[in-house]
Amino acid sequence: MTHAREARVWATITARSAGDGARVSPADLCHACADRLGLAGAAITLLSAPDRRHVSGITGKLADALEDLQAVVGEGPITDAWERRRPVLVRDLAAPERRRRWPAFAQAAVELGAGAVFAFPLQVGAIRLGVLSMYREAAGPLTDEELADALVYADAATILTLEGGADNGFAAPADLDGANVASTAVIYQATGMVSVQLGSSVEEAFVRIRAYAYAHDRRLADVARDVVGRRLRLTAGPENT
Amino acid sequence: MSSPARRNRDPSEVGVDARRRHLAEAFVELADTMVNGFDIIDFLHLLSRRTAELTDVKAVGLVVTDQRGQLRLVAASTEQTHMLELLELQNEEGPSLDCFRSGGAVRDVHLEAGERRWPRFAPAARDAGFATVDAVPLRLRRQTIGALNLFSTSGGVADEDVDVAQALADVATIGILSARTLSEHEMVAEQLQSTLNSRVLLEQAKGVLAERHGLSMDVAFEVMRDVAHDRAMPLSGLAAGVVAGAELVELPAESEAKDR
Repeated sequence: MTHAREARVWATITARSAGDGARVSPADLCHACADRLGLAGAAITLLSAPDRRHVSGITGKLADALEDLQAVVGEGPITDAWERRRPVLVRDLAAPERRRRWPAFAQAAVELGAGAVFAFPLQVGAIRLGVLSMYREAAGPLTDEELADALVYADAATILTLEGGADNGFAAPADLDGANVASTAVIYQATGMVSVQLGSSVEEAFVRIRAYAYAHDRRLADVARDVVGRRLRLTAGPENT
Repeated sequence: MSSPARRNRDPSEVGVDARRRHLAEAFVELADTMVNGFDIIDFLHLLSRRTAELTDVKAVGLVVTDQRGQLRLVAASTEQTHMLELLELQNEEGPSLDCFRSGGAVRDVHLEAGERRWPRFAPAARDAGFATVDAVPLRLRRQTIGALNLFSTSGGVADEDVDVAQALADVATIGILSARTLSEHEMVAEQLQSTLNSRVLLEQAKGVLAERHGLSMDVAFEVMRDVAHDRAMPLSGLAAGVVAGAELVELPAESEAKDR
């Protein structure tokens, strides 16, 4: 299987930026995602705790209203996706089980004009950054194709957040090896090892391995293999950043 | 794709009673795990090991779709690196991918002759010492969510053992999706993505432990599984604690010696 889908999705995001080599912002990603998936809006919400949140990118009035609503009532798909570390796919906000789940949020969301919400955690194993949420006026499920694209947008949002910091955005990766979050076991193992070498979080270790691969023009998996094979150590010093 | 002649186990090889007993024990053990302190990766690892024993093959691996167009490994009977790589290679080609795409079993493919079909996978599997491969699908009604891959060093898998492997693959599907989800389309995506992230977390924790104690990755896995069982905590809970630096895992004396 190929990275054709990743290539397609990233092309929609980079097309939003000012031009070649320009930085891609979280808002660019939300716009591209909304266009591609026929959404009324999308938002990237960064969370460090359920009540500690920050919107890094957003598009559409409905997304504005629903993101805000969830922050105010303290419940909803964003919090659930973050806490349960899994997508929360709500094809019909008016369904009784959704009202039971979110007594304050579901009813108000429907009144604000939302029919369906899909929320995807931005995560890589232990790394958990926030949630990409998507809003539609009409009720109805994502098709399999839309789901696949939505997952890749969530991967892209994860990379964008990790590499660019909260609001800065970042230059789109030149190769899709780097654009792909979901990758081989050896990369995750190396992340764990480097976090111990640096005495850092896994987030930082993940970014450092990627930075090392870019700086040395090597494939991420090859660098990771060297780490796991104990041929390469990343240290806190500047020499291999 | 299918074996030319139906092959049966030599009845003298394993007594029918003993075989039934082993089968029953495996299902009891798996059912027990599903009820008590369920951890999906731990469960699928156990299931892979029992599948290898019951079908008399050397190794078993389990992959599922990531719903973006790739197959990802979630468990294997052995966590040795070459095994994990053989499973990851099947993003591109191999029995699991063929099985996933067709939704049917891939039967008894001899790796000697399999090179044209799988130019990268077949030599890699042969180099790892395997002679034949089989794969059975993880099925949910008309949908296929993954495959259980059987690697044999001698002859292939007997026909009655393929039925056993399929039954275990069905149990794996139920384990991943959990019974209540079978009615809801959305839940399949939610559970699959959650399972995949648990696997990523486990790999990160293996890395932390391997670096901290100078272990190989497969020993790091075994240590974590043993500790999780000793403390009666879910493997992914322990893994999260290990990555966060909150869980200190002390090694049994022999673990250090096993490696390097």
